Amino acid sequence: MIHYLIDPFMDFVFMRRALVGCLALSLSAPPIGVFLMLRRMSLMGDAMSHAILPGAAIGYLLAGLSLFAMSLGGFAAGIAVALLAGLVARSTVLREDASLAAFYLCSLALGVLIVSVRGNSIDLLHVLFGTVLALDDHAILLIGAIATVSTAALAIIYRPLVLECFDPQFLRSVSRWSSPTHFIFLVLVVMNLIGGFQALGTLMVVGIMLLPAITARFWAQDISGLVVVSVLAAFVASLIGLLLSYYANVPTSPAIILMAGVFYLLSMLVGWQGGLLWQLMPRKHLEA
Amino acid sequence: MNGRPAIKFNDLTLGYDRHPAVHHVTGEVEEGELLALVGPNGAGKSTLLKGIMGELSPLDGSIDLDGLDRHEIAYLPQQIDIDRSFPVTVFDCVSMGLWREIGIWRGIDVRRKPAVTGALSALGLLDFVDRVIGSLSGGQFQRVLFARLLLQDARLILLDEPFRAVDTKTIADLIVLIERWHKEGRTVIAALHDIEQVRAHFPKTLLLAREVVAWGPTRTMLTPENLARAGQLSAAFDAEAEICERATPPQERESV
Amino acid sequence: MTRRLLLALGLILAALLAVPQGASADDKMKVAASFSILGDMVKQVGGDRVDVVTFVGPNGDAHVYEPTPADAKALSESKILFINGLGLEGWMTRLENSSGFKGKVVTASTGVNPRKMVEDEKTITDPHAWQSLANGKIYAANIRDALIAADPAGKATYEANAKKFIDGMTAMEANVKAAVAKMPPERRKIITTHDAFGYFCSAYGMEFIAPEGVSTESEASAQDVAKIITQIKKEHIPAVFLENVTDSRLLDQIASETGAKIGGTLYSDALSAPDGPAGNYLDMFRNNIDMLSTALSS
Repeated sequence: MIHYLIDPFMDFVFMRRALVGCLALSLSAPPIGVFLMLRRMSLMGDAMSHAILPGAAIGYLLAGLSLFAMSLGGFAAGIAVALLAGLVARSTVLREDASLAAFYLCSLALGVLIVSVRGNSIDLLHVLFGTVLALDDHAILLIGAIATVSTAALAIIYRPLVLECFDPQFLRSVSRWSSPTHFIFLVLVVMNLIGGFQALGTLMVVGIMLLPAITARFWAQDISGLVVVSVLAAFVASLIGLLLSYYANVPTSPAIILMAGVFYLLSMLVGWQGGLLWQLMPRKHLEA
Repeated sequence: MNGRPAIKFNDLTLGYDRHPAVHHVTGEVEEGELLALVGPNGAGKSTLLKGIMGELSPLDGSIDLDGLDRHEIAYLPQQIDIDRSFPVTVFDCVSMGLWREIGIWRGIDVRRKPAVTGALSALGLLDFVDRVIGSLSGGQFQRVLFARLLLQDARLILLDEPFRAVDTKTIADLIVLIERWHKEGRTVIAALHDIEQVRAHFPKTLLLAREVVAWGPTRTMLTPENLARAGQLSAAFDAEAEICERATPPQERESV
Repeated sequence: MTRRLLLALGLILAALLAVPQGASADDKMKVAASFSILGDMVKQVGGDRVDVVTFVGPNGDAHVYEPTPADAKALSESKILFINGLGLEGWMTRLENSSGFKGKVVTASTGVNPRKMVEDEKTITDPHAWQSLANGKIYAANIRDALIAADPAGKATYEANAKKFIDGMTAMEANVKAAVAKMPPERRKIITTHDAFGYFCSAYGMEFIAPEGVSTESEASAQDVAKIITQIKKEHIPAVFLENVTDSRLLDQIASETGAKIGGTLYSDALSAPDGPAGNYLDMFRNNIDMLSTALSS
């Protein structure tokens, strides 16, 4: 039985690479997702993934299928949108969600326009939709580097980030770290999206960032618990998704994300923290 | 009190979008004072505190803080924008009061833990250390915020309506804390709406109604006449307002 | 007030949609072709008498094209629309409808004996019929007949052009068959990204293997990739081939894991730029067979 789990990875290099890529992504993206979720910014991940798309497209137009160019372009576009959205939110009547929506939609439209003006009819999404089965050395290096930097940065800004999430007024009153923290966090979001889109495509990346984090909510209350559970959930989903793709002949990234979705549904039913099943079974109240 | 001014207001006008919420404030708050900020709704109390904190830039005039960095002021705002559903414990929340010492990186180690537990104990929160803030009542949560203020060990403490929607036992305990701060020589300014509380515990009062109505010892300044005048002066923004030409409006003053 | 405003906007919109598209006359007959390979064939047969506009250009992906308003305008001014059919152009119906095209639609693959393939328990038609030169001749004949029907005055020209074109195909066929004969039988395998060479392989005695299905839209599964790697290793297949319309990264990965070479770029669904190695239909075959020969004969 165990050899069913191990054989595909023993026999094929591309499976091992895929697993390594997924492991790196599972370490760096879900913690970001935990914070996105806690700050009620869950949909922002999706908006940002659309915002980076045109940047990556421009990179592709200028330099072909170059990982460097597309990643750089996507990163620049993401940061630009995040910065502009934040700036507008701070200096006009618009709130952050409206200003972000405005900018990412403009970004997306601009990208589509630029690509079609060039007359190249290769489907944009298709080109940028990497596959986790084709991670070459550069891609693995990129994902690994992003995972390292992201995790380290998150550790450093952990405290001000937590404060910024639940009491931003206090952070502003005692420290100058409020704006920088916010900005660094956005940079980390964009970085992880870039790293993920090489492996899973832009649509799926947000899945690996958010689904495990949302799943974790049903198992843990404190932040470290949430982070641990989300990372585990992401990795196991990747593993099972890869195996499903191998044995049941289904495309890989949807398999992984759907697996993450299945975990979410199961957790919603039986998770210790507020799972529906426990709510339906009334238990005696505690002493104090 | 040594008579050194902790805060100097120089013909200060604060407001939003050119409409003044409080204008032409001139005066001094001495170091170590216990000052109550009183006035009807819309009088500009919160605005004045925000101005001191630096959250609002003056439309006119200036505030002089005697070299005090705004990050060294302890401030309890009225609209608490805290996300109570966030998974953070009482201990974690309170220990943030040590921010000036620990910054983003240093931990609450053996050296610092006693300070935190001391603050928790002073506010009667020792049994609540590991509770998440979402599970606390209004009064308990206010104690948490005061414990955090206590840890900040600030020279200047600003409180905006600290007793709103809090039970009487907690109010009594918090007033004990405020008086302790006063004895320690800290400058405390509190915006309050309960006149009896002010009369009972606050030696100095600044009566505000978008401009200074009266400023001085509570005993002599907080008279029914002054309160009535304050009630009349407070009004909403006038959208058709002319540019304000007055330098200093008529006001009653008495220094100690 | 707002309701009346909305009503007025609605009426204006309706009026705009009702404005008919005018067509203009010219010396040459305006025709349209769905993609570059077909466009070239129409040019070869039509010669100077036709003005061909092509929608999916060189190196474009005809499976997943997004038509533009310029396309719709060009189509509305054309007398004939040449399509491949066999399920290639899923986007064509939308374009026809939106342009209000009133001309004749000619399916170039009429009369071709289509290949069927089984993909995930579904039987679908393989649209890449042009990859067999025998079918190419049928395409040319269909194009010729359609042009004559629309422009009887040019009958002589079209027949001459078509004959020349078809003769060229006959010659190329001989080349291809000869080249394949030179390859050792066990090496006559094409591994590339999507199943575009079915007709080529069954016409000229080769075998193809691809990790993606027929269309470029589908995503490969781990099982597909594993199967190909196993096969390459087992049968010592020496080369894999890139395509000009799909992403090469998956193929790179397969090549590096199996030690197979990248044998060059094959042109499957689109021509190259006019000055490139596969600027027209016959050159496309020339390029492809050269690449295959070089990689597989040695």
